[in-house]
Amino acid sequence: MNHTNNEGEKLHVEENEKHLLLDHAYDGIHELNNPLPSWWSFLFYTGIIFSIAYFIFYQIMGGPTLREEFNKDYSKILVVQEEFKKANSAYKDERYVAVANPEGIEKGEEVYENNCLPCHQEKGMGDIGPNLTDKHWIVAKSTPETIYNVIFNGSEANGMPPWSEVLTTEEIYLAVAYVSSLKNTFQKGGKLPQGEVIEE
Amino acid sequence: MSSVQKTETFSYDDQIVRWFVIATVIWGAVAMLLGVTIAFQLANPAFNFGLPWTTFGRLRPLHTNAAIFAFCGNAIFAGIYYSHQRLLKARLYNDFLSRIHFWGWQLIIVSAALTLPFGITTGKEYAELEWPIDILITLIWVVFAVNFFGTLIRRRERHIYVAIWFYIATIITVAVLHIVNSMELPVSFFKSYSMYAGVQDALVQWWYGHNAVAFFLTTPFLGLMYYFIPKAANRPVYSYRLSIIHFWSLVFIYIWAGPHHLLYTTLPEWAQTLGMVFSISLWMPSWGGMINGLMTLRGVWHKVRTDPGLKFMATSLTFYGMSTFEGPLLSIKSVNAIAHFTDWIPGHVHSGTIGWNYMLIAGILFYLVPKLWNTELYSKKLASFQFWLATIGLVLYIVSMWIAGVTQSLMWSAMDSAGRLTYPNFIETVIKIVPMYWVRATGGTLVLISFIIMIYNLYKTAKQGSVNKEQIFEAPALDETSIETNATAHRKLEGWPMIFAVLSLIAILVGSAIEIVPSLLSDRYVVKMSKIKPYSPLELLGRDLYIREGCYLCHSQTVRPMAHEVIRYGKASEAAEFVYDRPFQWGSKRTGPDLARIGGKYPDMWHYRHFYNPKEVTAGSIMPRYTWLFDNKIDYNSLQGKMQVMQTLGVPYSDAEILAGVTNAQAQAQAITTVLAEAGVPMKIVDKEVVALIAYMQRLGTDILKEEAQ
Ligand code: HEC
Ligand code: HEC
Repeated sequence: MNHTNNEGEKLHVEENEKHLLLDHAYDGIHELNNPLPSWWSFLFYTGIIFSIAYFIFYQIMGGPTLREEFNKDYSKILVVQEEFKKANSAYKDERYVAVANPEGIEKGEEVYENNCLPCHQEKGMGDIGPNLTDKHWIVAKSTPETIYNVIFNGSEANGMPPWSEVLTTEEIYLAVAYVSSLKNTFQKGGKLPQGEVIEE
Repeated sequence: MSSVQKTETFSYDDQIVRWFVIATVIWGAVAMLLGVTIAFQLANPAFNFGLPWTTFGRLRPLHTNAAIFAFCGNAIFAGIYYSHQRLLKARLYNDFLSRIHFWGWQLIIVSAALTLPFGITTGKEYAELEWPIDILITLIWVVFAVNFFGTLIRRRERHIYVAIWFYIATIITVAVLHIVNSMELPVSFFKSYSMYAGVQDALVQWWYGHNAVAFFLTTPFLGLMYYFIPKAANRPVYSYRLSIIHFWSLVFIYIWAGPHHLLYTTLPEWAQTLGMVFSISLWMPSWGGMINGLMTLRGVWHKVRTDPGLKFMATSLTFYGMSTFEGPLLSIKSVNAIAHFTDWIPGHVHSGTIGWNYMLIAGILFYLVPKLWNTELYSKKLASFQFWLATIGLVLYIVSMWIAGVTQSLMWSAMDSAGRLTYPNFIETVIKIVPMYWVRATGGTLVLISFIIMIYNLYKTAKQGSVNKEQIFEAPALDETSIETNATAHRKLEGWPMIFAVLSLIAILVGSAIEIVPSLLSDRYVVKMSKIKPYSPLELLGRDLYIREGCYLCHSQTVRPMAHEVIRYGKASEAAEFVYDRPFQWGSKRTGPDLARIGGKYPDMWHYRHFYNPKEVTAGSIMPRYTWLFDNKIDYNSLQGKMQVMQTLGVPYSDAEILAGVTNAQAQAQAITTVLAEAGVPMKIVDKEVVALIAYMQRLGTDILKEEAQ
């Protein structure tokens, strides 16, 4: 057997593998017959055995399904959320008073700009959501408590998201402070009034 | 020897190989240029240029199709046609078929380039081409197969070498995948609907999608590797035994792994688990190829340092090894929960396509071009420079996408002690990773530059060389003298290529049938819900716009059963919700948020403004503007035909509903526009596409919230 390639160059075979050289060639390509690396065989069979065991445990012996695992997880979180809501949904006047000052209003404006702009526009002029600068109110009734409630719980059917799921309670009080500072500022070019008039 | 062997003379068709080589480098440059373009679009949406045919959603399919089918496709054909003839000592079966193959394939690519940017797409990833092109692909593939197997029949070498095993598996499997996944019913020359719906469509599509990676980007390249590495290194292949076991295990196991793209979806869990465990089992079969390649280089590593072709080939094998380790890792459910929908996945894909495919192709071209043009490589220095640029570019790509992917995932799932998302605004998670998009775009640019350098180098090489007249070779005809009497079973099989082909077919059909057939036969596969209704005519038109614009390339439509996901998006998806979705639009990447529950989340006006200019509504958004939706009229003419095809496919539209389709659609458009008009939008928008798209958005995910009808 001639161990040269087509260009007549001698095939490079190491001394210790000469006995492994198989007796055939294709276009000058030869093959050794090295045994499978033992770590390769080990991992190959381990993979298959693991796979069979995994499949049997989860699909045949009734191991937990992804949905079951999710339900367990999620119900725990629902409890936490519920507790949190209970503890915070009630409006607390002292927390509002604590932020109803220029500094609080400024921080509230930041919360507003980060979350409310797409629907209520600059300075509460209103767009998708109602104008917050007039004396008309749809859900809230002008008082900090009612404003707090609508921001906290939202008015989902009409497109106002419940912000308790997004903002911290502190941020909501800041937003209340800011929104309260807007009312009756009657921004020019704002959205037409909606809801009932509430005079103060 | 009992009889005197008859000697035959023959020559090789290298002209066709040269053509495919030229096509490879041209389309490779196009594919990479497109890739770099869309990478910059994600870093800054201004690069969408505000034109319909240059937006991300339309260029991304063009990039993937160009990279896979044009660049890698032509390279495969070049490499196979070159090696097949030599391994069999036979000229290609028919020169004319070779030419039809070549020009037919280029026609397919040009058709892709002339349809995808115009939004003509099936909306199925990596299978976006519409039905007439699908048929053309089938025909040309058959031409390829005839040419290939015809050559096998006329061979002068009894046994087929391992490279050819891989070629056979490729040709057979790609044909099966393409035909099964492209089953669609035409509405018109440019539009069709998938024969499969929802979960079933997803299963077939990812069986296809995953195995396109397996049998278009892996097996043919392994075959090429088995030819070109021993040739270039002048070394015997490391282990024949390993070749056998890794070939068969790879072909048998790969086909099952598709559902790892659908973990945590509404695909039945047994199928998901099969996808996961077969992916894990695939690790060693894949590494078998890497070991066989790298160990073949034993004793000649000094050559790898000096020979540019070998350097690229050896590196490609290392990247192959890396991505075939990463793949099984990503298929483990708990890892997938983190990585799926993030940028980790494009990173993974590109360590395969750039690291394995591009590098191997470069290695092969550095071997082939000097041989085909009878000369030496023009410049080793340039090749070495190209090598470093490509490697650095790729590492930037992979590392930036790891960082981006893990960052996204952590931010998406972060929750505080009150059970609230830490980053409830999706845009925060986008802005955070935009710097990584810039790094990726830079990496991609380096890879593109490296490729252009290679083209220059190869061009200079070809120019200094010349194309000689075809050389005449001699070899004995195939007769019984070459039959080995005491051969092993596999060795015998190597003498029967047609039986070999049938066995490969059986190997890939087993997994395919077990996973797919139940979804086609069983009524229980998807538990139906009567409250899930077909789309209204206007919503159907809107959905087709969603497909046309490639929104699915940035948005998913499936909420996984995970706490943070349910809190962010709403109720986890149910299989029944997708029964009217042809094609399904679950997506594979969340560059933007999931849209499965977008219906009712915002008022119409929000969407109206958002489509016109996302940045104005969501500061920092990288979603492209869709201004043309505000000028283009809704295509009501196509509606009746579309509804009829849907009816044929089993969607319960009554004949009366189809007749009244346009009227109903216009009424719904009128209703939406009236609401928009209250916010100052002119009524004349009523017949514009944006209204249909809004209708579709507002429908998504709303049926499931209704009370179940009695
Ligand atoms: C997705 C759009 C949207 C966003 C974002 C939004 N709102 Fe609203 N908002 C609305 C809509 C719509 C209404 C009217 C609800 C109704 O009619 O029941 C509303 C109502 C309100 C009201 C009650 C007004 C009234 O007249 O009763 C207040 C106060 C308010 N929003 C504050 C906020 C604050 C503060 C934020 C940011 C934290 C915010 N909104 C974010 C859409 C939005
Ligand atoms: C380049 C990727 C990209 C493409 C393509 C894209 N989007 Fe988006 N989309 C985003 C990103 C990022 C966001 C999040 C920021 C924002 O609100 O704009 C988003 C947000 C959205 C939202 C708001 C979702 C929510 O819950 O707040 C909708 C609706 C939407 N896109 C619809 C579409 C539609 C319809 C198309 C196709 C016409 C599309 N997108 C194409 C990236 C994209």
